[in-house]
Amino acid sequence: MVKADFVTGLVLVALGIATLVESLRMPRFVELNVNPYTVPGLVPGALGAIILALGAVLFLRAARAGDWRLAERAPDAVPWSGGSGVRRVLLSIALCLAYAAGLVGRLPFWLATFLFVAAFVILFEWPLAADRSDRTRRVLWPVLLAAAISAATSFVFQEIFLVRLP
Amino acid sequence: MAENLAMLGQALLGFMTPTALFHVAWATLLGVVVGALPGLTATLGVALMTTLTFKMAAGDAILILICMYVGAIYGGSRSAILLNIPGTPASAATALDGFPLARQGLAGRAMGIATSGSVLGTLVGILALATIAPVLAEFALEFGAFEFFWLAVFGVVIAGHLTALDDPIKGWIAGFLGLLVAMVGQEGIHAYPRFAYGSTDLAGGIGLLPALVGAFGFSEVLIVMKEPAAHVVKAATDRVIPRLEDMTRYWRTIVRSGVIGTTMGILPGVGEDMGAWASYAAARRASKEREKFGKGSVEGLMAAETGNNAAVPGAIIPVLTLAVPGSAPAAVLLAALFIHGVRPGPLIMIEFPTFIMEVVAMLLLATLGILLYGLLLTRPLLYVLAVPRERLMPVIFVLCTIGSFAIASRLFDIYVMLAFGLIGFVLREMKYPMAPLVLGLVLGDILDKSLRRGLVLTDGSLVPFFTRPISLVLWLAILITVLLSFSAVRQALARLLSRRRAAGETGS
Repeated sequence: MVKADFVTGLVLVALGIATLVESLRMPRFVELNVNPYTVPGLVPGALGAIILALGAVLFLRAARAGDWRLAERAPDAVPWSGGSGVRRVLLSIALCLAYAAGLVGRLPFWLATFLFVAAFVILFEWPLAADRSDRTRRVLWPVLLAAAISAATSFVFQEIFLVRLP
Repeated sequence: MAENLAMLGQALLGFMTPTALFHVAWATLLGVVVGALPGLTATLGVALMTTLTFKMAAGDAILILICMYVGAIYGGSRSAILLNIPGTPASAATALDGFPLARQGLAGRAMGIATSGSVLGTLVGILALATIAPVLAEFALEFGAFEFFWLAVFGVVIAGHLTALDDPIKGWIAGFLGLLVAMVGQEGIHAYPRFAYGSTDLAGGIGLLPALVGAFGFSEVLIVMKEPAAHVVKAATDRVIPRLEDMTRYWRTIVRSGVIGTTMGILPGVGEDMGAWASYAAARRASKEREKFGKGSVEGLMAAETGNNAAVPGAIIPVLTLAVPGSAPAAVLLAALFIHGVRPGPLIMIEFPTFIMEVVAMLLLATLGILLYGLLLTRPLLYVLAVPRERLMPVIFVLCTIGSFAIASRLFDIYVMLAFGLIGFVLREMKYPMAPLVLGLVLGDILDKSLRRGLVLTDGSLVPFFTRPISLVLWLAILITVLLSFSAVRQALARLLSRRRAAGETGS
């Protein structure tokens, strides 16, 4: 986790500097005769400086522990979870992004939801199937579930909460 | 006092309608289920419920949210006892003694203790809410820009410290990142759109609810999908009715945990999780049967469950009187109050004089709800816990997406949810706490306006920020918190104390 601190520290330092620069570039409204203590950049600038300082502490602490050797692995380092966990997370992220940032807004909401739920359940449960009949079941159930969820959410939000769905 | 009691009576009578009782029944039940399901937290439950109820009448919607909140914090104990997986982070301490009890075949008794602890804890918290909140609101009328500025800083620093005890810097980073995100969008004095870069969506600011739904919903979906599946469900064999003996024997633990839990709730951003841990630690220190802790101690379980539920009314105290949330779910509740036109803050007793007692009445009904479900709902909940995560998580994500969208009908909120989900997931994997981030998001606006207004009032002088009495207390507390987080300071202090003690002994 220290190596992560080294990188996070760098990222935070960069964020802090960027925030400071952006805050200094914010208008001061001098021409409007605005009280100089109310300029919009004051608080963001201060926050940028604090984040810069905290990031620097994190970075220096990790650097002192020798974590600038990013390519090396400590002999006792635990890899970022087991392989199957990472695979599951990446698949989940891909599916969720495809649905919320891709399909929603382009397809009717009910269709997007149906496709997402069905794909999610089938992709994750397929490898668990034992034999052929089990496999059919593992496709059939998700499709039914997806249809039910899609119908229920569309109905509840559109008819009861009167939300105009994307 | 008599006036308050009359108001409470009136509020309770007001909720004795079929509709209100129906709302209490389903919302508390849903809360218990949400709390029991690992991966669904109280924050997510209240946030999703806010998006579902925002078109309802204010009174009904707030009643539903409070029942959801109380139910979810209680519900977490079920999975902690039966699966050894805390259903919400607030029940992590419950699992320590609850699961060993269940393994000894005492799952029913453990659930009974959890029920009685939760009910009694909430009652202690409610008592504090009813007595402290009106006084605190009156006291807060003295607060000016200076005090609100320090209160915002105090909140982020103390929440960052207490939610990341082994590495407070991570808590502070989370808190200040939250404050920074709150800066996006039009600021409150000159309406200048900060960090907007020409985008009207960014100029509108980052919505609290989509951000919370992302940080607690989407990121939780990812965390649950990452873990290997858990399939151990213990069937309750013995009776779940709480034993009077458990309550009378440990009444000291109950009172102590109730007070500690409520206090943790009142502290900004330090909520149910710390309420449970601090009560558990205190109970262990004071216990005569210390060796049983962690191996199925009734006292430990009672302390944890009393502590986390007492924090719920505790966390609502600053929400109502200062508009500063006591915990992450309370932050959502605060946002929901604003949506429904209730303006919490020091003026609450003047603008909405009956509201505090109405909230007390709502909490009492929710407590009744968890008591009933605690006794009745043993087997059905086991079936709910058996739903595979591969089927539950996509459904949760659909609700996260549509919930983020529903509030303002803009796709931008969905993207905010996604961004906060991914950032939240990465931060949580690196052990950054989420509560200070949420608190920062809520307090950013107060901090910004108060600092600049204060500076205008003093014409640039910082002196009043440090010399006004309440400000003095707040900044000293911040300084001490920060200093104590350095191990060098702690060691020096310990040396000093031991030297003085040694000197005292030789002197006497």
